[in-house]
Amino acid sequence: MKEKDGYSECPEQQVILYVEKEDGKYGAMQTGSYLSANYIDDYFFKRRNLEKALRERIEKGEINAIEYYMILEDLTISELAARAGIMKWIVRKHLKPGNFSRINESALKKYSVVFNVSVEEVAGRQSGNRK
Amino acid sequence: MIIENYQHKMAAHCESGSITSLLNHAGMKITEPMIFGISSGIFFGYFHKMKSFAFPTFIVRNKPGQMRKNLEKRTGVKFFTKDFKNQTAGQEALDLLISKGIPTATQVDMFYLDYVPSWERVHINVHFIVAIGKEGDVYKVSDSYFPKLVDLPVESMNKGRFAQGSMSPKGSIFYPRYVPETFDYDKAIRKGIKKACFYMLSLPIPFLGIKGMKLFAKKITEWPAIARDTEHLSHEVMKINILLEDQGTGGAGFRFMYATFLQQASEIINKPELKDFARELMEIGDGWREFSLFAAKIGKNRDLGPDKFKQMSDLLYQRAGLEEDFFKRLSKTIN
Repeated sequence: MKEKDGYSECPEQQVILYVEKEDGKYGAMQTGSYLSANYIDDYFFKRRNLEKALRERIEKGEINAIEYYMILEDLTISELAARAGIMKWIVRKHLKPGNFSRINESALKKYSVVFNVSVEEVAGRQSGNRK
Repeated sequence: MIIENYQHKMAAHCESGSITSLLNHAGMKITEPMIFGISSGIFFGYFHKMKSFAFPTFIVRNKPGQMRKNLEKRTGVKFFTKDFKNQTAGQEALDLLISKGIPTATQVDMFYLDYVPSWERVHINVHFIVAIGKEGDVYKVSDSYFPKLVDLPVESMNKGRFAQGSMSPKGSIFYPRYVPETFDYDKAIRKGIKKACFYMLSLPIPFLGIKGMKLFAKKITEWPAIARDTEHLSHEVMKINILLEDQGTGGAGFRFMYATFLQQASEIINKPELKDFARELMEIGDGWREFSLFAAKIGKNRDLGPDKFKQMSDLLYQRAGLEEDFFKRLSKTIN
């Protein structure tokens, strides 16, 4: 790739690309991320839609707050179990929509550490107090 | 305290970038592409169904940590490396090294790094950063994906270093404890290239190397059936562009950086043919970039019909064919 073809304007996300310079030598150039420069609005559009759809599924009782964060953070049951240090079959049990209130404080704390939110935020998401 | 004489520099990739910065700091003059090439960093792997991934994905570099091991064997550099079971011990060890003026790399889950923009924060346990200072409860960090030094609270650093899950960092730290004055570049470069060719051509595993590329080409047509809905499919298709261009590859899934390595290697070991290989790989990389830009465009336009997946599949088969031929000839040339 020629240096002129690698350029993108995106101060928020800079990347290093290896390109062909004018003298024919290959080397690094610092530029903006092409994807962020051109498509970041689409990322946020889809993100908002996903959050909304998941909130609605909580309201309908189809999923609970643990699954909400699990899907948002692109985790599988295995990965969530490994990260939280909770056995997979217990995570499966916790994911059942009606079982949220039966998740003990210690397990809720472990999940919230993985999701990087507070226990209150997880509980609030379940009760619909957080939009 | 902050280690004042540490030169922060952006790099294409977090691991090769951290290693390059640490070695440069220790007095070794070597470039990131040279580190990447000698350590046989170029690779391909496709994972269609894995317990730890919510959707099929692919990798374009060798296993995290392998670069250091290969580099040690081929250049004589020795790294101090340590993992921790205990978070307190891990933090104390990092703090002690910083207080001694030793810039220290550590492995983290990128999700917990507060300075990373929200859209880039994903659970990925194999990001490498260099801690170069600590003031109060905040680390000063050199992250090769960022133009300037960044601040990271101790709590976030610990969450990142001690995240669990697949390829968990285990608080891992490393820094070069011995750097030779010189080493046999010819031998190291040849070995690095030979091993890279082996990784790409001969691993007896159906989803790794060129076989992995062909599997990707075959399986990508199944993606629409796996996605939750159109927007999910669009997101995953656009992630192809992130994995090839944005997530620390130097562009085209490391192909541009490896071409740079071949060009530099050609002069160092006086083997002009490598320059032609470099040019050829740059062109192969252009094709990868074309593929990733195509993925971004159809993802954005929600133009995700079977014809588009067939087109992506064809582009991938094309890349696989070209790279198979490329690495076969490269392997013969270097032997």
